[in-house]
Parts: sequence; structure tokens; C-alpha cells
Amino acid sequence: MLIQSTRFGEIEIADSALIRFPAGLPGFPAEHAFAFLPYQPDSPFAFLQSATDPDLSFVITDPFPFFKEYCFKLEDTIIAELGLADDNPPKIVNIVRIPEKTEEMTANLLAPIVINWVSRTAMQIVLEKSPYTVRHRLFPQGLPNQAAKGGK
Amino acid sequence: MLALTRKVGERIVIGDNIVLTIVDIKGDSIRLGIEAPKEIKIYRGEIYDAIAAENQQSAQPVDLSKMEILKGITKG
Repeated sequence: MLIQSTRFGEIEIADSALIRFPAGLPGFPAEHAFAFLPYQPDSPFAFLQSATDPDLSFVITDPFPFFKEYCFKLEDTIIAELGLADDNPPKIVNIVRIPEKTEEMTANLLAPIVINWVSRTAMQIVLEKSPYTVRHRLFPQGLPNQAAKGGK
Repeated sequence: MLALTRKVGERIVIGDNIVLTIVDIKGDSIRLGIEAPKEIKIYRGEIYDAIAAENQQSAQPVDLSKMEILKGITKG
């Protein structure tokens, strides 16, 4: 299908490649399909562009390059609902919030998105009894390339 | 809003497949048992509100040029 997007223009993507959120996302209960668009080769960052709302896209990140200790137990009911298995482990991404100062960007570690990459089914889950919050700084020491420049 | 008075052990049935049971009451805390089909997502209200609000703030359009400085960052 052809997706209209404010940020990326027109995107042609196979229906089968869309990531499906049968339950929508909290705050966006009617959004059920997104295109997964990598930001750059080998970048931890990517976008989720809504298939139906041109204005709606999320920046997401692979959490593990930034939060090496990030860890949670996936409930059996979620594993079953998403059809995950030992030979089909989940892909975990987290929604990123980019405030005015980019270096203060945060990831929502309390509500990861769990994706079955084979069936392209996903859900944003809320961790129970978790030490995580909705805002964890990705760059608590500032951006690495800023530091390399000697941090003006 | 419908408001019902219940005692410990009593239930409220919603539709054909959702049952709330009052498990315990201690002071101003009430423990609820919830039986519902697995496709019904259940959240604590304030946590759901926090996630929904964070999603909405994260969905604010970000100027792509603001992400330029993230170009050199890899998974490695």
C-alpha cells in the first residue's frame, strides 16, 4: 500500500511488511498499522510511521545500546498472544521523546513495544512492578559527538 | 457513572465475560480480582494515563534535522 506521511512523503510498502498493533497503542487506540523505517544502516534509531495518519510517526530505539542492563520478564500471556517462541524471540523497541534540546531525549522504558518480527504483530506493554519510568535519558552525559568536539 | 456498593467476596459482572470480584478491603485500599478475555487490556488508571500522555508527547512532529546529530551513533 501507499502510505502518505508528512515527514517522509509517500512510502510504498507491502501490506505484509506493516507492523500490526491489534490493540492500538495507549493514547492511540485506533492506530493499528505502522511502517517500520530504519533511520540509518546500523543505527539503533528507527521510525514507526502510521499507515493511516500522515502526521503520526514515532521515533523508536533499540534500547540495549543505551541501557545495557535493561531487563524485564515477558508475561506468558503476552508470549502466547504474540505467538513468540524460542526460535522466534521478540524484537524490543522503545518510544523516544525528543524535547527542545535533542541531547535530553528520553526513552520510555516502562512501556516497551514487543514485536513478533516474523508475523509482524506488536503490542506496547506496560511493565508490572518495574523500576523503569517513561523517561530515561539516552545521553545522560550529553551527546557523544558533542563531547568529541570538545563540548562547546 | 454507575456506582454499586459491594462487600468482600461479592462480584460485578460486566457483559458476558468480565467479572470483578472484591477480594479484600484494608483501610482505603480495595483489592480487586479481574477475570476478562485476554484481548481486554487491563491497566492501573494512572499508569495508563502516564503512558498515553507520554506517547502523545512523543508523537509531536520532530524536525528531522534535529536527528542529524544522531547519524554517527550505531548499535555497536
